[in-house]
Amino acid sequence: MEPLAPFSVVAPTSLAAALAALAEPEARLVAGGTDLMVNLRHGIGAPRTLVDARGVAELRGIAAQGGGLAIGAAVTLAELAEDARVGGRWPALAEAARLVAAPAHRAAATVGGNLCLDTRCTFYNRSAWWRAANGFCLKHRGSVCHVAPTGNRCHAAFSGDLAAPLLAYGATVEIAGPAGARRQPLGALYREDGAAHLTLAAGEIVTSVQLPPQPLPARYAKARARQAIDFPLAGVAVALGMAAGKVAALRVALTGTNASPFLLAGVEALTGAVPDAAWREQLGKLVQKQVTPMRTTLLAAQYRRRAAAALAMRLAAGLAGEA
Amino acid sequence: MRNERTVVGRPTPLIDGIEKVRGEARYTEDLPAANALVGRILRSPVAHGRIVAVHTGRARALAGVRAVVTGEDCPHGYGVLPIAMNEFPLARGRVRYRGEPVAAVAAQDAATAAAALELIELEIEELPAYFTAEAARAADAVALHDDRPGNIEREVHHEFGDPAAGFAAADLVREGVYRCAEVAHGQMERNAAHAAFDPERTQLTLWSTTQVPYYVHMMLARTLGLEASRIRVIKPFVGGGFGARVEVLNFELIAALLARAAGGTVRLALSREESFLTHRGRPQTEVRLRLGMARDGRLTACAAEVVQRGGAFAGYGVVTILYAGALLQGLYALPALRYDGWRVYANLPPCGAMRGHGTVDVRFAFESLLDTMAAELGLDPFAVRRANLLAAPTQTMNGLRVESYGLAECLERVERASGWRERRGRLGPGRGLGMACSHYVSGAAKPIHWTGEPHAVVHLRLDFDGGITLLTGAADIGQGSSTVLAQAAAEVLGVHLDRIRVIAADSALTPKDNGSYSSRVTFMVGNASIDAARQLRAKLVAAAAARLGVAETEIEAEAEQFRHVNDGRTLSFAEAAQAALAREAGALTVKGSFTCPVEFQGGGHRGGAVGATMGFSYAAQVVEVAVDEATGAVAVEQVWVAQDCGFAINPLAVEGQIQGAVWMGMGQALGEETRYDEGLAMHASFLDYRVPTIMDSPPVAVQIVESIDPNGPFGAKEASEGALASFPPAFAAAIADAIGLRLDELPVTPDRLTEALAQRKRAERLARSRERAA
Repeated sequence: MEPLAPFSVVAPTSLAAALAALAEPEARLVAGGTDLMVNLRHGIGAPRTLVDARGVAELRGIAAQGGGLAIGAAVTLAELAEDARVGGRWPALAEAARLVAAPAHRAAATVGGNLCLDTRCTFYNRSAWWRAANGFCLKHRGSVCHVAPTGNRCHAAFSGDLAAPLLAYGATVEIAGPAGARRQPLGALYREDGAAHLTLAAGEIVTSVQLPPQPLPARYAKARARQAIDFPLAGVAVALGMAAGKVAALRVALTGTNASPFLLAGVEALTGAVPDAAWREQLGKLVQKQVTPMRTTLLAAQYRRRAAAALAMRLAAGLAGEA
Repeated sequence: MRNERTVVGRPTPLIDGIEKVRGEARYTEDLPAANALVGRILRSPVAHGRIVAVHTGRARALAGVRAVVTGEDCPHGYGVLPIAMNEFPLARGRVRYRGEPVAAVAAQDAATAAAALELIELEIEELPAYFTAEAARAADAVALHDDRPGNIEREVHHEFGDPAAGFAAADLVREGVYRCAEVAHGQMERNAAHAAFDPERTQLTLWSTTQVPYYVHMMLARTLGLEASRIRVIKPFVGGGFGARVEVLNFELIAALLARAAGGTVRLALSREESFLTHRGRPQTEVRLRLGMARDGRLTACAAEVVQRGGAFAGYGVVTILYAGALLQGLYALPALRYDGWRVYANLPPCGAMRGHGTVDVRFAFESLLDTMAAELGLDPFAVRRANLLAAPTQTMNGLRVESYGLAECLERVERASGWRERRGRLGPGRGLGMACSHYVSGAAKPIHWTGEPHAVVHLRLDFDGGITLLTGAADIGQGSSTVLAQAAAEVLGVHLDRIRVIAADSALTPKDNGSYSSRVTFMVGNASIDAARQLRAKLVAAAAARLGVAETEIEAEAEQFRHVNDGRTLSFAEAAQAALAREAGALTVKGSFTCPVEFQGGGHRGGAVGATMGFSYAAQVVEVAVDEATGAVAVEQVWVAQDCGFAINPLAVEGQIQGAVWMGMGQALGEETRYDEGLAMHASFLDYRVPTIMDSPPVAVQIVESIDPNGPFGAKEASEGALASFPPAFAAAIADAIGLRLDELPVTPDRLTEALAQRKRAERLARSRERAA
């Protein structure tokens, strides 16, 4: 099988040391490695140094923060899924963590890794031989996007699960880098470009995620071919608050369908209304209009559009019924 | 013989399971690689083309490269069927699929091997490539193989009885078209070979992940131009086969070519992608099926047209297209049959044999149409099967002998276990029950290479230590064959199972065996094991009788004791063994064998040997599903399966094998499929080739039916394949029961199901608007 190109691993214990190590040329951050190592095995990237995030104190742990929570980037998905505070007040996030891959992956994979997951495409997540035989692609070493050959942009889909519930909960991320630390809404971490979907500058890393207090009731669901292992073909988080039989607040976030996870726009029009069948149809239409699945998965793009809408409608109905 | 059985018929943990559980079992990739070179294969990026040149000079010049081989190094074609040896270890003259091996290197380490591959330059002049059977069969298509114009590997046209009269006599005639995607075995262990060549002695030893060490041996001799006596083939632990390894594969020959060129040892371990590219899976199949049925459900005639897209080389293709027709029979009473089959070449990795070889896709079509027609006639799915049962012993129109037939009992058992009568139609919205039947052979009665030798040979060896060594060439690949052979011998000898040690599949030690395919090992090698054990027992009894000074008929041998029936004097096993060694002039080896009588070897028509067997297994199963119409997800809630395996020598292994077969059928029904983009494999990982996860896996309740076959070892028949083919149609029937939509295409992925539902909705809308207009 394909050999890995040689690299060295450094294991800093402080954020400062990690950032210093990442400032060296051809250094990459790694934690669980469930995404990165597969790509490296495929000859996508050949870093000289891997900087192990797992021992960095500042990236560890889940802490209460002004009624909300701060979740370190190196917290594993297994830890996140099992955390009683998360499960109790932010159940959609725990649900999303539980639905990632399989137990062995979740024991290794981290929150930061899931948020910064590379985008995925059926023409990209392939061996070096395969991609060479296919003339490579716009995302890596090539000039053509095989998904949309006439266009000039990469359509690889962002496929991390956690981003959807975090967007629905209105989470922020803290970023550290050579220029210091900053905090921004999670949505600002992404841009709609499969070849460059993260807005992080060189040497910057996500250090933690902040969940604001008083979350709306929310749920997460994903469409996939199998009930484990698979990335989301469409992942949907819905946060919905009811008042006097009407929808008082609504946030819908999607992942797996576009080059970046995103909050559904135009949901204001759906608030103040009774969430009946017609309302749900409207929600479904809104989802169908804004998701842009392309031929990046083996299952049909049209299915991902339908499934995204169906899941949004189902989750909303459930939340409205529970309220 | 004793009436009470002490070893067979008892649930027995596999005798080689302990090493596996401990993680100590050595598979090919685990063999010591201290001085081994690393082998790597360069594969064609092009689907079809003429090889102008393969430039290897720069690779050969790279420091650390010990050998580079190309098609020039091996002019001998190979293939599993003597009539269709059209493959080369490394492409010669032409490449025919993306991923076909073109050159290979052996180097001191993996990095050097990878660098050497980069330095090999291919000059290929592209030819038109065909990725569907239809495109390959087009009038102006370039032939992949010059001797096969029109890209037809084999056409089969068989007619038995009077189909025209049968259809004319039918009360209902219906036709359906069914499409099944190509699937792959998904065996857990990746392909690997370990080849050691001794240039001083001109001797080759090859360890490989094979089900057929003997076929590998023969093809090594042929392609390397070596005398077979200079070759030794060893099968270490193997992690699954399912038919992927029932013919010699290119990587085994390439490893040997590299080892010879390098004059050393080469380890060639394929990636998962390369293992998928080596392929040999079940071909994409289209079945056009017509059935005639009387009002009471009796079948009057069947006509089937089957097109299989076989990939770039012959492999087992001729056998597959023959099986597809032959095994339309042998399950139900079928008075007339027309079968037309076409096996087609295409520029894709070659297909081959896969669990349920040739039968699975046609069975999906047959059971589906049977169900649909039964519903139209107001017949219960069980009733229509019962209306068509065979009565054993019998012979089908195409010369298949049915000596034992437990299908009726299988039907009874799953009907009762599933609560079919009480529960069907009462499960609530989105839930449904479906059922279907299937069967499979217990070994191909006519071997591919006819040599006049027996079908199976087993040696038993007894020496001073009192241990009995069972020597067999049969490959245990996880299915438990070594355990079955040991149980059979222990039972006949009246000894404890742990007195028998099995040495399997090392050509320097073990007698030739054709291999682990067509579910032949239990039946054929099991009978040979019994034969050998009877002979050894006779020798032990004779020696014990002589030692005790009594007649042989007065000796009772059981529980490792040889007792005089009248006076009770007893020899221990060790004493009897010692007596036998003294009497027989030293260490004892006996040979047992088994040969299928010629009357079981099939009808006289062309291709009539395929499908012929000494015993068919029979299975029936009920599948319960829950369908989520919004997401298209189908959850398999529960499976009840009953299989007639004749007699369960090891009920524990039988249960596991039946569950495995059901589960594999479930994979094909739910989501497994190969996909190609311009011939480039899109499925070549376990992320994209979606075998079910444990989260998708229902409880599978197994019932073992024992019809006691007159010729099987202790009455045993096949137990590992028969239940596979009834899953997909039972699943489709359950979906139809749940949501009123019958799908005629596999796999039923969520996107296909939601698309079918959307189409139904559109059709209903259209019908309503037409009604309003009218």
